[in-house]
Amino acid sequence: MTELDDIDGLAAEYVLGTLSRDERSAVEVRMASERALKSSIDAWQRRLTPLADTLAPIAPPANLYSKIRAQIGLSAHVISLKTRELQLTRRGNRWRNAAAGMTAMAASLAGLVVIREVQNQALPTQFVAVLQSGKDQPAFLLTVDTKTYNCVITAVSAPKLPDKSYQVWMVNDKLPKPKSLGVMSEGEMNVMPMAPGPDTDLFMNASFAVSLEPEGGSPSDGPTGPVLFSGKLIQATP
Amino acid sequence: MLAQSRLLAEQSTKKAAQGYSDGMPLTRKQLDGLIGSVAKGDEAAFAELYQVSSSKLFAVALRILRNREEAEEVLQESYFRVWEKAADFNPALASPLTWMAAIVRNRCIDEIRRKVPRGSPDESLLENLESDDEHPIVGLERQEDVQRLMRCMEGLEPEKKQMVRLAYLDGMSREDLAVKFGRPEGTIKTWLYRSLAQLKGCLEQ
Repeated sequence: MTELDDIDGLAAEYVLGTLSRDERSAVEVRMASERALKSSIDAWQRRLTPLADTLAPIAPPANLYSKIRAQIGLSAHVISLKTRELQLTRRGNRWRNAAAGMTAMAASLAGLVVIREVQNQALPTQFVAVLQSGKDQPAFLLTVDTKTYNCVITAVSAPKLPDKSYQVWMVNDKLPKPKSLGVMSEGEMNVMPMAPGPDTDLFMNASFAVSLEPEGGSPSDGPTGPVLFSGKLIQATP
Repeated sequence: MLAQSRLLAEQSTKKAAQGYSDGMPLTRKQLDGLIGSVAKGDEAAFAELYQVSSSKLFAVALRILRNREEAEEVLQESYFRVWEKAADFNPALASPLTWMAAIVRNRCIDEIRRKVPRGSPDESLLENLESDDEHPIVGLERQEDVQRLMRCMEGLEPEKKQMVRLAYLDGMSREDLAVKFGRPEGTIKTWLYRSLAQLKGCLEQ
């Protein structure tokens, strides 16, 4: 009968999943430098993983993929813009103050812009803006594809607040007032087709902001609640 | 060797796309091809890899964590890792599904070992998950591996077989198994070692 030596036994139990937390950490440290342990673990993965195939598949929720995509978009090279965080609690900083001027707004609101390096030169030119004020805070991702003229807004993380909704706005000093791009909840993705032309220029040079509104969206034709954050588009592909 | 498999990988990517749209399970080569493309930053390949694997991996995570929200979080982190680490994937060591399942299971087990005792399970999930039935195999790719392992599992005494399944699929620790089977942890360890040695011997035949 086959016997397991110490290393093989440890590897088998690691893969089987029966080790304690401390024992698991110890194995993970050792496997970085011990080739025999690592290859024994790989072999046990190959032996036992077919067990996972005996489970009936269960589809994850439909919005999970967009969250993963957004996380990937967020991961690469983060460039922090000249802005700083606007706390949700700073009630005084309402839209009307910020709207006094685009410069003032850019200086006072938070925004992060992310560029993902894309090796594939055949990809169309893409622009992205990430709207987020900090870790564990609501985050929205905007991408604009100038080849297909599609703008996609994803509510990556938008924790549900009682009686409140998140509303996305476009702000441009050529517009008489901020234009609503819609009320969004977590995991939701809005695709907006855009026609090339003056409107696109307006869009590309605009700032985007998210405000906290009464449930269902702003009761007037402009933002009424606190502005959580804003950002501008930045070119993401060459 | 690696260059060659990369080349094969590229050639199979197109076929993989066709295979999926036909609703056919992907072959090992096609899956290797997808990971190869993901390693080069191909988002379409990543989307396809997600489509063909996420239901299996979600089932794995749900079974261990017994909590939808946590399982979703683990799955999200795991696919993010797949995207980041695709270039490290070595087709000589594992199939893509084995590699991804290991990522998901490791996260899940770390998660349940972190919080002691285990949080209250999501009761609505248990009904679907408790069943010890073995479901028909959907993936063509590893059908043979699965059948071979199942045959070897049949060679174990029923209690030992159950123990291996509870450990691997439900994430039970030696301690959990000791409580469940009413035996000291040392006995459980001995049983596990013997069962695993028997499986290894059987699989090598």
